[in-house]
Amino acid sequence: MHILYLIFVDPFVQMAGAPDLLVQTLWEGLVGGVLYALIALGFVLIFKASGVFNFAQGIMMVFAALTLVGLYEKGVPAWLALILAIGIMYLLALAVERVVLRPLVNQPDIMLFMATFGLTYLLIGLGEFVFGGNPKEMPVAALGLPKGSLDFKILGGLVSLQKIDIAAAVIASAMVAGLALFFQHTRIGRALRAVADDHQAALSVGISLNQIWVIVWFTAGIVALATGIMWGARSDVSFALQVISLKALPVLILGGFTSVPGAIVGGLIIGIGEKLGEFYWGPLVGGGIESWLAYVLALAFLLFKPEGLFGEKIIERI
Amino acid sequence: MSGGEILLDVEHVSLAFGGVRAINDVSFNIARGEIRAIIGPNGAGKTSMLNVINGFYHPQHGRISFHGKTRARMKPYEAASQGIARTFQNVALFKGMTTLDNILTGRSLKMRRNLFWQMLRHGPALAEEIEHRKFCEEIIDFLEIEHIRKAPVGTLPYGLQKRVELGRALAMEPTLLLLDEPMAGMNLEEKQDMSRFIVDVNQHFGTTIALIEHDIGVVMDLSDRIVVLEYGHKIADGTPDEVKSDQKVIDAYLGVAH
Repeated sequence: MHILYLIFVDPFVQMAGAPDLLVQTLWEGLVGGVLYALIALGFVLIFKASGVFNFAQGIMMVFAALTLVGLYEKGVPAWLALILAIGIMYLLALAVERVVLRPLVNQPDIMLFMATFGLTYLLIGLGEFVFGGNPKEMPVAALGLPKGSLDFKILGGLVSLQKIDIAAAVIASAMVAGLALFFQHTRIGRALRAVADDHQAALSVGISLNQIWVIVWFTAGIVALATGIMWGARSDVSFALQVISLKALPVLILGGFTSVPGAIVGGLIIGIGEKLGEFYWGPLVGGGIESWLAYVLALAFLLFKPEGLFGEKIIERI
Repeated sequence: MSGGEILLDVEHVSLAFGGVRAINDVSFNIARGEIRAIIGPNGAGKTSMLNVINGFYHPQHGRISFHGKTRARMKPYEAASQGIARTFQNVALFKGMTTLDNILTGRSLKMRRNLFWQMLRHGPALAEEIEHRKFCEEIIDFLEIEHIRKAPVGTLPYGLQKRVELGRALAMEPTLLLLDEPMAGMNLEEKQDMSRFIVDVNQHFGTTIALIEHDIGVVMDLSDRIVVLEYGHKIADGTPDEVKSDQKVIDAYLGVAH
């Protein structure tokens, strides 16, 4: 009985007893969740347009951030480095379309999936070759991002919000909203869904596959850059960061692979869920819940609702 | 309506995949405003011919002129922007999308407003969206598919999917409409409906139509002129009556004792 009490009652007693801690935990979960949502969105874009799980999305995030920091360390002003990094993500999109997607058009999805593996290792090699493998510090101040924290004395305690986290949440929310509008209301958005469904039919109504692919990969590149900057500001920019992008997988399973709102809701659930789990239930099993809770949730979803919360159809590939 | 201005001219076109010759030195033309049928036994190269016309395949030899302009290698979306629309043998629809959205994709090339305004559904972009919606609703009325306007097309029966696909092609306001077996797999009633739509499209909108069809009865009734292919060669070309009495055609369809 005592164990049941510890699982089902005690955490809530703690929450009610120290609401300031609860708010703090929720906030941290929210920030993490918004960033997960952003990463997941990068995957959703490409999955929607080509039906392929882009394994390279994580490394694209690292590569984009690394380019930015690498250029900055070589003496390029931060704003210029940012523009150059965006330009390089555009070149990457062009190159991927020309060298990978175009030759593999109409091939089975698994081949494209394998091609994204290839891309991953190519980008790792290229990144290490050009910028070296050492962790780098994100020039937060030079990019005009705020530092320090805001403290609120509320609920009989202290809630402390990192300014960089606030900026991350705001920027990520704005990007998510912008992308959602872009893909739901514009002709490009409709074309994107069309391309995802049937290449030939899309071609026959005058949609250019090449153009759509470049747009989608470039957008995913921009998303990768934004995510890279935000995660880079919270830790360092290193190749280890790409592990975070694996968290996008449970987010996508929860939300549904083809759904933009799904990526957002899934990201928030995972982000908040793992922080709450870690803080209130973690001590029961000696901590470390944060690193696996998302995957257990995903497993449960795969068993009971494999199309996710908002997915259009049963996931049949990856 | 035949005998008018030549809309599409195919001259000495050959197409091979490795060693397989799908089309061998075929020439024919399509006059503006006519219904032109392409028939022939399975594997005769009919679908390959449509694929050449709308830019999916690039022939190794020969020339194609559309609107009097001889074209070089052309991509499918370029063919679409010049006014060539098509349907597919095995329905190629956007299955997750609704009937209306499918038909709206046919308007892709006609939407030109700023993406920013489209995102916000505001200003000129809203007016444009409404205009295209209206056009698509007219097509939906015309094809009598009002009741499935909001249904995801993947859930619809085959006959209706074929109709939606025709609707999407019509939304492009094509000059030349290519139909690849528009009646395959349909029952008699559905075939009659589809025939009626094809004739209406041709007469009311003046759309030139090239169609592939196996139902010879339908072909004879609908078309102004027929070209017959066999093993990638053209074996006959003319009005339904001429083709019907052509010995080579009879041999190709019924077989011949050697």
